[in-house]
Amino acid sequence: MNTAYTPVTIRQGFGLAYQSQHQYPYNAPANPPQPSNTMSPSSDQQQQKFDWPQSVRNYVQRTFQASNEIPGVGREEKESRLKEIIRSEQEKGTMFTTNWDEMPLPQQLIQKERQQALMAAVDPATTQSKSPSFAANSKKRKSSDFSESEQTNGSPVPWRSTKALSLEDRVSKPANDKRLLMDGPLTGKSKFQKNVEKRQRRGDGGYQSSYRSPSPPPPSGPIVGLNESLEKPYFRLTAAPKPEDVRPERVLHHTLDLLKRKWRKENNYNYICDQFKSLRQDLTVQHIRSEFTVSVYEIHARIALEKGDLGEYNQCQTQLRALYRAGVKGNPIEFKAYRILYFIHTANRTALNDAIADLTTAEKEERPVKHALNVRSALALGNYHKFFQLYLDVPNMGAYLMDMFIKRERLAALANMCKAFKPELKLRYVTEELAFESDAEAAQFIIDYDQELLQERDDHIVFLTAKAGQTFENARAQACSRVDLKGQI
Amino acid sequence: MDGLIRQFRVAYAATNGEQLAETLTPDVQAHSAKLRAIWGPGDLRSMTADLNFLFHQDQARLSIRLSKEETSGWYAIYTAYWKAIGEILAVKGLRNGAQSSWAKVYEAWKDLTLLTIRGYTNHDFENWTIPCLYVTGRYLRLYAMRADAERVLSSDNTAIDDLKDDFDPQAEENKCLEDCARHLNRIFQICASDRAPLEESRKWGVYYAVNLLFKTYFKLNSEPLSKNILRAISAGRSDIPPIDKFPKSQQVTFKYYEGVLAFLEENYVEAEKHLEMAWLMCHKDAQRNLELILTYLIPCRLLTTHTLPSAQLLKPFPHLQKLFIPLARAIKKSDLRAFDIALRDGEDEFIKRRVYLTLERGRDIVLRNLLRKVFISGGFEEAKNGAAPVRRTRIPITEFTAAMQISGGEAIDADEVECLMANMIYKNLMKGYIAHERGTVVLSKSGAFPGTKV
Repeated sequence: MNTAYTPVTIRQGFGLAYQSQHQYPYNAPANPPQPSNTMSPSSDQQQQKFDWPQSVRNYVQRTFQASNEIPGVGREEKESRLKEIIRSEQEKGTMFTTNWDEMPLPQQLIQKERQQALMAAVDPATTQSKSPSFAANSKKRKSSDFSESEQTNGSPVPWRSTKALSLEDRVSKPANDKRLLMDGPLTGKSKFQKNVEKRQRRGDGGYQSSYRSPSPPPPSGPIVGLNESLEKPYFRLTAAPKPEDVRPERVLHHTLDLLKRKWRKENNYNYICDQFKSLRQDLTVQHIRSEFTVSVYEIHARIALEKGDLGEYNQCQTQLRALYRAGVKGNPIEFKAYRILYFIHTANRTALNDAIADLTTAEKEERPVKHALNVRSALALGNYHKFFQLYLDVPNMGAYLMDMFIKRERLAALANMCKAFKPELKLRYVTEELAFESDAEAAQFIIDYDQELLQERDDHIVFLTAKAGQTFENARAQACSRVDLKGQI
Repeated sequence: MDGLIRQFRVAYAATNGEQLAETLTPDVQAHSAKLRAIWGPGDLRSMTADLNFLFHQDQARLSIRLSKEETSGWYAIYTAYWKAIGEILAVKGLRNGAQSSWAKVYEAWKDLTLLTIRGYTNHDFENWTIPCLYVTGRYLRLYAMRADAERVLSSDNTAIDDLKDDFDPQAEENKCLEDCARHLNRIFQICASDRAPLEESRKWGVYYAVNLLFKTYFKLNSEPLSKNILRAISAGRSDIPPIDKFPKSQQVTFKYYEGVLAFLEENYVEAEKHLEMAWLMCHKDAQRNLELILTYLIPCRLLTTHTLPSAQLLKPFPHLQKLFIPLARAIKKSDLRAFDIALRDGEDEFIKRRVYLTLERGRDIVLRNLLRKVFISGGFEEAKNGAAPVRRTRIPITEFTAAMQISGGEAIDADEVECLMANMIYKNLMKGYIAHERGTVVLSKSGAFPGTKV
């Protein structure tokens, strides 16, 4: 609905022409071609304006000649009536055939109407029968009012029809005439807007303003994109987006397909992330919240997870949570499970609590969610045995998230073991309990902290827990304090 | 209007802040007749004429001395109040069919709030009038929540910020309340930053403002902002009068929030201290508040001193009984299975109150009690040469495994048992060590289970 947009251009054209004519009556003939540049976007109309016959120009000129002025008839009334007359001729295509020289001037018409109205007022009965819209002549006009006046408007020429119309209406409310004059959506023009436009014109010294496209009104709803390109780099918005920079949903569907293909083929995360961000932005500015939106966020979230980009991942997850809550379909089970794992990683107890609160009883029984909840409770109870078993069997892409905090939990478990087990443990036991891939990996992990803690025996290696002291306790404390909070909202 | 201003004069002459604030109450439930009288025919012109007369011409009857600044401040406040009343009556359907919305009420009340704040910055309002700030702030918060609820119901999406790359679901849901939080914060600032000598300082309004802010931030789920306020208070502690000089109601609320904040940060010792103060000071008839305090104080106690609530304590709170008694019983009986069930049964409520993650840790206590039983049932070593008998301290893991299986009601492997025992030792709930290769636990000869006299 560009209600406010179109009329601005059109009115500028008309208003400009007549206003300047009014101010400089003798320049008038030179002016009519001028509005053509500023006219409505319709090329058809534009054509007509270009071809305004000289007779029409003369008629316009006569209207505003000082010698033809009738006291009591204001300029505005004249203007609007003039517009009405010309528009009517234009619509009928009789612009060239009408004898403009014999056409009564608008002010003459208005005067005549007033006299008739006066007569009608003396005899109210006739008025009422003649003008059914009289009673409805209030500030609020309804769409039915328009059809009514059209019906009464039996004669094709407006000034003849006026006899049948409520004259009072026409005289005292020029604004209503404009409504008859213009197309439906053009009618909603307030006095205030008119004044604003006038002011603009004045400020621009007349007709320069005609070259300037009027600034679009503040968006009264989501914009609809016009951009057809599949790829678009991401820019952070600093002003309201323009429709020509935004891709409509139809295009975005193709964009998503293209991005999925490219990701599989090229695996270029920087490019993909950038493209997804602009894709998300286009969805947001157009207020699109559909299953398609969910799939965009889900795919971006998965890619971000795979690349360990937790900031981006978290943004997607926040959106997904809201979308699922709004009842949009997707894969809530999968992502609610990730969400729990994510907050385990960031050690955000409040958010973790909220994530659990979001779950329904049925969801708690679904495998991915159940797994994530078990991970959480295992860690809460210090049950590293169970935790590492869960680590070995993660549904979906949860392992990428668990990888984020596996080191931290291994340190915690080692700190635990070093305090409880004396005097030593077989390395093999550590490997198995802490889900290392091999003894070598476990050994390396321990050696990284203290080289003295491993000892070779006849056929195996032992981990000297009793000698570890505070080594792993300190390492654990350090690891816990260093949770990456990037992108956390 | 006439009656209202008369009330204003009386309150002003008596420098009675509470009474003054009373003139700004919008409580439509209790005073609908009075509010309708204030609104009168709803004619702005006659209302301003009235106010003009009452404030400017009718000075003679003003037994009080109002400076020019003050007069214009109060004049603006009552004008805004009158407008807000109009919206409130309309939204309640008490204004001859006039329509309104909570969003409009919120906007109108916000204007009033801002003007009241301005009274202190621009119009020399004295500090005894701060109850006016309280009443505007209190209702601002209520109207913000109603406006938000109303918008959510009508699923109006105008809150979307087109400049953001993504939607901001939180902001959409709580648009008015977030706005409200900013204004409440202004109220806090205006109180805390007053440099006048203490007896005429607005600092006496600090804790009321803070409590309002806490309520709002908790509703918005943003504890970090609450922490900022706490920090601001402790930074200005030297200037702000000590909390025990404030009304008890404010002390209780503040201590409660301070305690809950510490609780959420897992600082249970600190939390217990604040909550206990709130508990002791809370009015004995404020059942709801007492219950809220206990909701956090009980889990605190469980973790800090391993104490369980007595039946006596919980007697007046049937709801808390339902939540905590099964847990307490399971802990006493060292019944792992009963504990798990009790925790699951109360899960929704525990999660909602955000005590679940804390209560869950109570399982350690159940386990500790269970292991202690195993230890005690192990009996004593044979005493040597008449010395005092010593408990058997070398206990096979298998004994603990058996106990855990019976109590937990499900199979558990030896590695997990060792893991859980290691935890007990790590957390200082049990003293000793595990000899993994030999499959035994060696417990300390003295105080194997600290704090339990064993």
